[in-house]
Amino acid sequence: MRARPSTSPITLGELARIRPLAGAELHLADPARTVEQVVLAETFDRLRHCLPHELVVLHDEAATGGWSLAAALHLAWERNLSAVVVSRTVAGASSAALAERLAMSLIVVEDDPIEVALQLAGQVSAPAAARAQRQARIAELLAEQTGIRGVLGVLNRELQGVPVALVVGEVVVAGQAAALAERPQARQIEVEVHAAGERSAARLVAAAPVPGPAGVDQVASLLRLARPSLQAAWARSRLDAAARAAHEQAAFGLLRRLGDGEAPSWTAELGWQVGLHNRAVWLAPERPEGEPSEEVTYLIRASWQRGHGGWPLIAEGDGWISWHSGPDADDVAALRRALTGFRDSAVAHRLVVGVGRAHEGVGGLMRSVAEARLAAHVAREAGAGSVQWFDQVGAAAALAWLPTTEIAQVADLTLAELMAAKDRAPLVQTVLAVLDAGGSLSQASKQLGVHRNTVLARLARARQLGLTYDEPGQRLALHVLCYALTTLWSRSRSGSEPSPP
Amino acid sequence: MSGTAGYLGAMASISAEDVPALYEGAKFYSPAVGDAGRSSVTSWLAGLLERNGPVPLMRVESVAPDTQCVAVCVLGSGSAMADLPPAGDEFVLAVRQIERLQKVRFGAVYPLAAATISALVPVVTAAQLGVPLLDADGMGRTFALIHHTAMHLAGVSPTPLVAVGPTGESVLVEVLSGPRADRMLRANVDTVGGWAALAAYPVDAGTLRRAALPGTMSRITNVGRVLLETTDPEALVTRLGAITGCRRVARGRIAELEHLSRQNDVTIPAHPSSLVVEETGGLGRQLRIELRSEIVAVFADGALIAGAPDLMCLLDVSRGALATLDSLEPGDLIDVLVTPADAVWYSPEGMEMVGLASHGIPLEHPRRR
Repeated sequence: MRARPSTSPITLGELARIRPLAGAELHLADPARTVEQVVLAETFDRLRHCLPHELVVLHDEAATGGWSLAAALHLAWERNLSAVVVSRTVAGASSAALAERLAMSLIVVEDDPIEVALQLAGQVSAPAAARAQRQARIAELLAEQTGIRGVLGVLNRELQGVPVALVVGEVVVAGQAAALAERPQARQIEVEVHAAGERSAARLVAAAPVPGPAGVDQVASLLRLARPSLQAAWARSRLDAAARAAHEQAAFGLLRRLGDGEAPSWTAELGWQVGLHNRAVWLAPERPEGEPSEEVTYLIRASWQRGHGGWPLIAEGDGWISWHSGPDADDVAALRRALTGFRDSAVAHRLVVGVGRAHEGVGGLMRSVAEARLAAHVAREAGAGSVQWFDQVGAAAALAWLPTTEIAQVADLTLAELMAAKDRAPLVQTVLAVLDAGGSLSQASKQLGVHRNTVLARLARARQLGLTYDEPGQRLALHVLCYALTTLWSRSRSGSEPSPP
Repeated sequence: MSGTAGYLGAMASISAEDVPALYEGAKFYSPAVGDAGRSSVTSWLAGLLERNGPVPLMRVESVAPDTQCVAVCVLGSGSAMADLPPAGDEFVLAVRQIERLQKVRFGAVYPLAAATISALVPVVTAAQLGVPLLDADGMGRTFALIHHTAMHLAGVSPTPLVAVGPTGESVLVEVLSGPRADRMLRANVDTVGGWAALAAYPVDAGTLRRAALPGTMSRITNVGRVLLETTDPEALVTRLGAITGCRRVARGRIAELEHLSRQNDVTIPAHPSSLVVEETGGLGRQLRIELRSEIVAVFADGALIAGAPDLMCLLDVSRGALATLDSLEPGDLIDVLVTPADAVWYSPEGMEMVGLASHGIPLEHPRRR
């Protein structure tokens, strides 16, 4: 698979990941530093004759402690060596501080320095073998992982300086989002991850710095190495998630039928909290498109429950219900954090969020759910990613339920002249503003940002076209019509839905 | 530096008023030693000088060449001396034993090392014997062993030597090779009470003219005056520099005290340990100060910047006084002062005896690079 056998010198970062240096105390100034040779130095004279890019293992006279390590670090710095390896008995905290000051890598080992030097020499002289050894070790670590996060955790830990993320569509499901960021001197490496019979494939994305501590082909082979574990974890969690979703949905239905009363004990088995003050959240698509697919539910669950694993997520109608339960009805800090964290996903999936008020008990929860749902309808007006709290909605929520499309069709029939006019939009908007302002022309002109005379002229024209807003018998009907038309047009302007004919 | 009121140049005699300055100056040249034996010895000496009058301090050249001279010093630990104070006649007894053995009469006394308590006891001995004290010594500071002297380098034998303990028991040592004497003595010091009065290097003044380091008693008295006169660290460093040639290599805060059980060469009695100092201001270097019975080397960021036989001492900046090595604590702000030793110690023979290699540091001395 590789274009060329990798014989480039091994780097400190790579050496540090395999025995004998794995598990040693590392103070690496630059993990990308190459190591061309290993020197076992027992005298300062030997140190003075080292060449640049050599790694030196101190022992005997050169490692008598205190000053000797300080002097060795200084010599290593003078000779531009790659790193100094020394036994634990000799190194103290101040040595690490000095190493950092001189930007010299210091590695503190527990084992016998001579033994370590011999093993290192072998690894440095056969870098390909050392790399294979490292891959074998990572493969072992990956095989131990059962979850997606675990697999990504191993990759990110082992590939230091190379962020790795699992991506579905454009949404980061796990790992470091930095992997997707466009950076100069970084190359993106992608590996497709298919679960059996999956339509939408996930991708493993890594951003490897070039030139970096880990070669591009090496990163790619590690990503491929991670693929089987990831597929297994993916399939497993899909199965788990599907079962859990069904379970939660059934439980919530039961809870709803229960009405007001004590929270049944089985809610705790699901990890739900119901007994305290419950504040419901309704996640709804910006445009209702019927019941969401299982895949979408899975993705929403993944991003909603990131960091809040215990929060429920129940598919209900065209949206999802969740709630937060806490002892203090006014404490919304955790919820705000969750909403902030969810914002990007909400935008990506074109969702809006409604939040209910806090109510006690099962009955309270159901009430909060109804409020959240109402708030979510209001939130649709503000577009994807918006969050609406029921406390701030009030009676205006009623407007969100207006069947604007049907009302607009009524307008087509009853106000044919107006609807045929080219300037219908500003006319309707002006009439709405005047009605909203209780007939005050000055307030309406201020709100529209046009001159009072313009408002007067438009009103006159609207009246000519049949919009007789000042007849008391028609005022309510025309106000509702104007509201519906304005909402529909502003939505079609901002959204992609074509305006009805 | 003649503008300084405390500086007197070469002195002609040592009187009771000079004792505090003498003690302070002696401490500068042996920074490792604590204040354990201070009051007993200084008040003893001041009393003696008040009763017997000042002790004449003479340059070696102004004494007749055939005058027989003997060096005295304290052997062993200062804290043992504080526990078991001298009866008073130990030094005189030691000198008299060599006189009886060699059938001579000593016409002058000189310090083996003009530093620590050993700078004071020759004055005591001279006052008790009624002979002048020579303004010269064998080390110009302290070294660990009794053959680490300019006289030894000049071929003068330290023996016959006599050590008298506070119990009145004495040991006479005669050896062919100087270095053997120290080993034989160490074995006896514990037995006679932890410390002993030592009389050694009996030699005529003519030989001493070329073998001893001149002017060292005057020097420590002048250093002592400066130290007593001011506690402003800047003024101290400048004035000390004028007298001793010392310079401040760094100022910093003690970050760590390391007590390491490192390989130790058995001939020098003290555990090696290490002091880490973060330089404040300047380059912000990390200093590592290696300690044995004294400060043996100073590293800055791992580079050797001073080492034995340089005399290195620490000045406690907040107190404006010398810091003894047993009083150091992490967090102290200190100045690191480096004073060049007498030239003889930088010769190949001197370096071999008391240089860095003798402390197990196989690096080239910064003055010889």
